[in-house]
Amino acid sequence: MGLAAAMLLPLAACGGGSTTTTTQATTAATEGDGSAAGTETSGDMTAANVDTSKFVTITMLVLGNKPSNGRMEAALAAENEIYKEKINAELQLQYIEWTDWQTNYQLTLASGDGSIDLVGTATDWLYAWQLVQKGAFLPLDDTMLQAYAPSTYEAVGEDWDLCTLDGSIWFIPEDQYTQWTNHGIYYRGDWAAEAGLEDVSNFEELGEYFQYIVDNKEGVIPWDVSGANNTGGLLGGYLGSNLEITTILGVDPAIFTYNNDDPYTVTSPYMEGDTLVEAAKLFKEWSDAGYWREDVLNYTGDSRDGMYAGTSGADQHHTQTYVTTTRPIMDEKQPGSDLQYFYWGEDNNNVTRDLKTHGAMAVAASSANPERALMLYDLLRNDETLYRLHNYGIEGEDYVVTDDGELDRPEGYDATTDALDTNFWYGRMDEYELTPVSNYDGAAELYEELDSKAHDYALTKFAFDATNVQTEIAALTEVYNQYIPSLAYGKFEDPEAAVAEFRAALTSAGYDTVLAEVQKQLDELKASEG
Amino acid sequence: MRTKTKTVTLQLNVHKVTLGTKLLRNRTLILMCMPAIIFFIVFNYIPMPGAYIAFTDFNYNKGIFGSRFVGFKNFEFLFNSGKLWQLTRNTVLYNLAFIFLGNALQVIIALMLNSILSKTFRKVSQTLLFLPYFISAVLVGFMVYALFNYDYGFINGVLKNLGQDPISFYSKAGVWPVIIIVANLWQSTGYGSIVYFAALCGIDQSLIEAARIDGANGAQVIRYILLPSLKSTAIILILFSLGGIMKGNFGLFYNIVGTANANLQPMTDIIELYVYRTLINQFNFPYSTAAGLYQSIFGFIIVNIANAVVRKIDPEYALF
Amino acid sequence: MKQHDSSMVAIKTISYIFIGLFAIFCLIPFLMMVSGSFSSEEVIITKGLWILPRQFSTEAYKLAFSSPKLLLGSYALTIILTVCGTSIGLFLISMTGYALQRRDFFLRNKISFFIYFTTLFSGGLAPTYLWMTKYLHLKDNYLAVFLPLLMSPWLIFLMKNFIKSIPFEITESGKIDGAGDFRIFVSLILPTLKPALATVGLFLALSYWNEWYNAMLYLSNKSYYPLQYFLYRIINMANYLKQSTAGAQVTVGNLPSNTLKMATAVLATGPIVFLYPFVQKYFISGMTIGAVKG
Repeated sequence: MGLAAAMLLPLAACGGGSTTTTTQATTAATEGDGSAAGTETSGDMTAANVDTSKFVTITMLVLGNKPSNGRMEAALAAENEIYKEKINAELQLQYIEWTDWQTNYQLTLASGDGSIDLVGTATDWLYAWQLVQKGAFLPLDDTMLQAYAPSTYEAVGEDWDLCTLDGSIWFIPEDQYTQWTNHGIYYRGDWAAEAGLEDVSNFEELGEYFQYIVDNKEGVIPWDVSGANNTGGLLGGYLGSNLEITTILGVDPAIFTYNNDDPYTVTSPYMEGDTLVEAAKLFKEWSDAGYWREDVLNYTGDSRDGMYAGTSGADQHHTQTYVTTTRPIMDEKQPGSDLQYFYWGEDNNNVTRDLKTHGAMAVAASSANPERALMLYDLLRNDETLYRLHNYGIEGEDYVVTDDGELDRPEGYDATTDALDTNFWYGRMDEYELTPVSNYDGAAELYEELDSKAHDYALTKFAFDATNVQTEIAALTEVYNQYIPSLAYGKFEDPEAAVAEFRAALTSAGYDTVLAEVQKQLDELKASEG
Repeated sequence: MRTKTKTVTLQLNVHKVTLGTKLLRNRTLILMCMPAIIFFIVFNYIPMPGAYIAFTDFNYNKGIFGSRFVGFKNFEFLFNSGKLWQLTRNTVLYNLAFIFLGNALQVIIALMLNSILSKTFRKVSQTLLFLPYFISAVLVGFMVYALFNYDYGFINGVLKNLGQDPISFYSKAGVWPVIIIVANLWQSTGYGSIVYFAALCGIDQSLIEAARIDGANGAQVIRYILLPSLKSTAIILILFSLGGIMKGNFGLFYNIVGTANANLQPMTDIIELYVYRTLINQFNFPYSTAAGLYQSIFGFIIVNIANAVVRKIDPEYALF
Repeated sequence: MKQHDSSMVAIKTISYIFIGLFAIFCLIPFLMMVSGSFSSEEVIITKGLWILPRQFSTEAYKLAFSSPKLLLGSYALTIILTVCGTSIGLFLISMTGYALQRRDFFLRNKISFFIYFTTLFSGGLAPTYLWMTKYLHLKDNYLAVFLPLLMSPWLIFLMKNFIKSIPFEITESGKIDGAGDFRIFVSLILPTLKPALATVGLFLALSYWNEWYNAMLYLSNKSYYPLQYFLYRIINMANYLKQSTAGAQVTVGNLPSNTLKMATAVLATGPIVFLYPFVQKYFISGMTIGAVKG
């Protein structure tokens, strides 16, 4: 037990150290170099007078499987020559592999062993605000960013506000990059035309399309989805396409929304109104009509494979996937299929733009070299040579630029084995991006259409603190996961009664408490924004 | 009075001496245990106090012991769920079925293998029995689906050919305990029977010869020599399994019934699935550790009771 | 001596039939897995599995072998881990098991409980991870995979139970000859333990062979991974590339995810399946234990 006690001490001792000065002092101490800390505390901070005499390695945490083809290392080696010369540092990538990535990402940040400097994050899919509350990131401020990441600091401008909480800036947003990850469903244009549909832009037409397949396409399941993997089915899409609402991010389960004209009032179509009942009834009809498998909730296959093979009439994912992947592949695998895309909110113009923090870069709380980490990030993000090296690799070997400035691959390139996979999704810049030649030709038109209909997500700054309602949130999540798949795939005999039961279960799980807490924090946010 | 004190002192002295001598006399045995003792201290006992995380609101920067103490708050998600009884019951009943049916089948298989004299048959069949152990839970789930699904399932295909109506297995909760138990037995029997088979191989052959000379037939040899010799192995195996009676086989349940199908939950929901569903997006280390503590304490109590009972009947068979 | 024994005949007949049927019941799904791995992805989606391959295809294996050097490296690494881990672990386990079953060892119950207790309680994922990475510095170190599997309470108790069936007279005869406890263990006990060593060694080898969880947690910047984790990554990679979550700008064809799962299972199972028949011969030779007496 003596050894056990010895462990208690270091664990307890690693408290504190969350303020910038402490960490920097520690940094300086460990480097045996007082001048850096001195410069900072004096407030006279510019990148130029940072002491870079000691060579450091900056480790960046990224999501994805570590590539094994040597291309990433080749690109990094080329980059590192430049980093070495400019800031006497080198970049190293630490991958969080896809196997159990949520757990691994959290564990790596929780361990705080100082092995990570830059952390790729996001306020939606990587729960950045929750990580801020858990103390995973180093708080940044204007002076620091201005000094060590001047180009980025200037470019981000007023978007810094989106990353600010309690007076500190917590991460750098990927705000100079446009992408569309709004969801929808892909359907075959050729079959829709046969069915006499000009296009599919609402659920009624989608139903007609599905019915046409049931009636006329032997051996094809209209949407051969896996309910085990896609637990929400079309439910969220139906609600968003029939109501002018937006889901509030960062509150689990994802049932809380705001009305687009009043972002600071929380509500939920899962609790209020008749739309959920309508949806549940519709999906029960669709289930009975065989638009998906009888055992959809236990099927684990992939509707995309089915669609490519011609056995599924649809597949559900977002715009980016349509443009880069499914449309080009369908043109090749099922020539003439003319794959089309019905995005949620197409009819009622309820499309939300991607968050500017759908990708973001933070500095780890335990980083030993936060200054150099910021300097390196600033170079990577703003120096075109470094940017291209990092994101596309070595020109001629990993990629080529066509005459009209598009991204192509050299002869014999195979994406499954030759990919670079540096996975830099935390500071891409439209300015330096190359459009792949393989992209769907109609992409620009689609983006334009989306842009004309879209509105910004209004609550990017909303960092919901769940501390007071943790138990209720767990209970709501359980109720949600118990009822939603069966509602979304029409597996309740009496959908109306099931919705009533679902709502009663939400209430007894503490729905009102959570709603009140969300409202309270929204009020505080509104007050702070003036 | 005086004499009494004297005896006590005397006994104490005697005791002291014996402890010293005992340690000295057993020093080699103690040394032989040292690698294991150190191993378990380093990899198990030192991290163990970290379970304190279940009583904190864990902050990554402050560390486990620097985080705020919140008492039993992290246990509420389990105890206030209204499902704890159903989850506990399902987990325990499934494990009891796995343990007792499993061991019975393993013993039977081991005895049968033992009575088969053809070496080739024995070798081949033993290897074949072992194969399911290598099929991952994901593939087991895939195969179960291929057998039982409504639209294209093998069984429903046969039913349709016979002119019968297909059965919707995935909406009948009642059949799943059987399917899950069969899948578990199928996977573990070959592996588990090795232990018993090896124990049978260790039996003194002269005992059997002697019994044969005395006129015992095959059934009697099994009844009076082979079965009793498997007793201590069976007791160890069962006592060991009882410690984990509240720990479910997540991989098996997750891949066979999943988490989306609410119809099956009354009969198939176990603690691990519940924790998974509840924490899927929350990465809440304190909560999952709290659930683990609940399972551990339950198992600790059960195994102590079972061990005490065994000790009472015959101390030689007790686990500790 | 061997007279007609009708009960024996009945037992044998039933045994042959039951074991035979059970073996077939175990073999068929395995065959389906193997032939599934040699089928085309389309046929698996549309027609499911069958005992023989349909639309023969080696697509899945091509993907698994896309970097043969890494696959072979993983095999080599796993074999090294398994061989070293099994031999060292087996020695330590049997040594502990021997000491713990000695009736004259007064600490045996206390130490047994000390070891058994670890199966009931643990620090849990996060504390263990912190300890392993922050204090033992085992992140990205193969020891993080090698060490934790070396001993398990379950195998120690199993070994202890096997050794118990060896007559105590062997130990006593050694003592009379003046041998120390360690000498007795090494030269008198170990040689009689073949079936036990074979069983425990097999289980230990399997736990090394099937290891992927610690590899997933602790190894991320290595060129070579333990086999099971390596194969796991290939499957995940295929899933990931198809989902293309964060908009990675690569275009990939449809990867054979179902057949790939089966191909990797075949690759992982292949070599270790052959270990078992090899181990089996020790079960037979162990039958002479009784003769060692005295």
